Amino acid sequence: MRKIIPFIALVLMMSSTSALAHKVIVFAWVEQGRIHVEGSFGSDQPAKNCDIKVTGLNKVLVHQGITDAQGRYSFALPKNLDSDLVIEMNAGPGHLGHWTISKDELGAEPTPENIEKKMAEKQSLEKNPSLARIAAGIALIFGLAFSANWIKRRKRKGHNA
Amino acid sequence: MHISEGVLSGQVLAAGAVITIVGTTIGLKKIDYDQMVHVAILASAFFVASLIHVNIGPVSVHLILNGVVGLLLGMAAFPAILTALLLQSLLFQYGGLTALGVNTVIMALPAVLVHYLFLPLVGKSERLTFIAGFSAGFFSIVFSCLLLGMALWFTDQNFLKTCIAIISAHLPVMVIEGIITGFCVTFLLKVYPEILPNINKVGK
Repeated sequence: MRKIIPFIALVLMMSSTSALAHKVIVFAWVEQGRIHVEGSFGSDQPAKNCDIKVTGLNKVLVHQGITDAQGRYSFALPKNLDSDLVIEMNAGPGHLGHWTISKDELGAEPTPENIEKKMAEKQSLEKNPSLARIAAGIALIFGLAFSANWIKRRKRKGHNA
Repeated sequence: MHISEGVLSGQVLAAGAVITIVGTTIGLKKIDYDQMVHVAILASAFFVASLIHVNIGPVSVHLILNGVVGLLLGMAAFPAILTALLLQSLLFQYGGLTALGVNTVIMALPAVLVHYLFLPLVGKSERLTFIAGFSAGFFSIVFSCLLLGMALWFTDQNFLKTCIAIISAHLPVMVIEGIITGFCVTFLLKVYPEILPNINKVGK
């Protein structure tokens, strides 16, 4: 066992890429003539070095880049825009996230209140699932299992009758 | 391991849905009354496991537990994993409803496979039981990675490159799941052997 533990530690350290998480969150907003993008897999798990693609009308590529170590990326607001912008973040094989900035939002400079509202929206997206939701999920699983059991029993009773 | 919405082609999504329907139907038919509570317990464990993130140095991993679910449930892993994934999608926005079929196949098919590969070793001796558990946990993730790579390959991505990226990202999960499944099966064999299907109890 003493020989196995250092081996396991070595294997874990060798694997330097971040394991694929399941919830890709992309969030973007306009501030001071720039579009700011933040990607994460939930709270405290930034989506590092992920490809960002920005597309406009008819999926025409407008801009592309890569997130930094904090999962952030920002770029100057493209000129002559006449449509919503879709920001797509590729967070590894099978992991994709989208965020749409509406045409109206692109044209207007946001007020501090608006930015605060956006940040609150971002935090709610990144929040871990609540205990109530987890409990509801487990209760639903048991509910479904007991319902399936009850149906099976009824069917068997019907056959025996 | 959960594929997001909008990644896979329509054909791959449809194929995943069909395999899931077939697997779930067979699984539901195979479940016994007495087994239903075990199915619910393991589906709940699978449902919650994805929320447990472990940070190991630069790596952030989350548990999947399809190995232990498959080893203990066999074909019944299909309905258990489908239910858990559906609720994860609805309650936590993990994966997506359109990718539910493919995600179920990616996690449930390896679970069924490890059941048939490693269950015969469970109960032979304590050491073999641990090895069987470890292998079930480890290889369920390896097979899941290969299936994920295949799903992406059919949607125009390089199979080898994608598989290497997925497997290297999941190496820590394979080892951790192997250890957890190994200890879990060894423990269950001692305290609650009834949950293990068709086994020879150690010491008998």
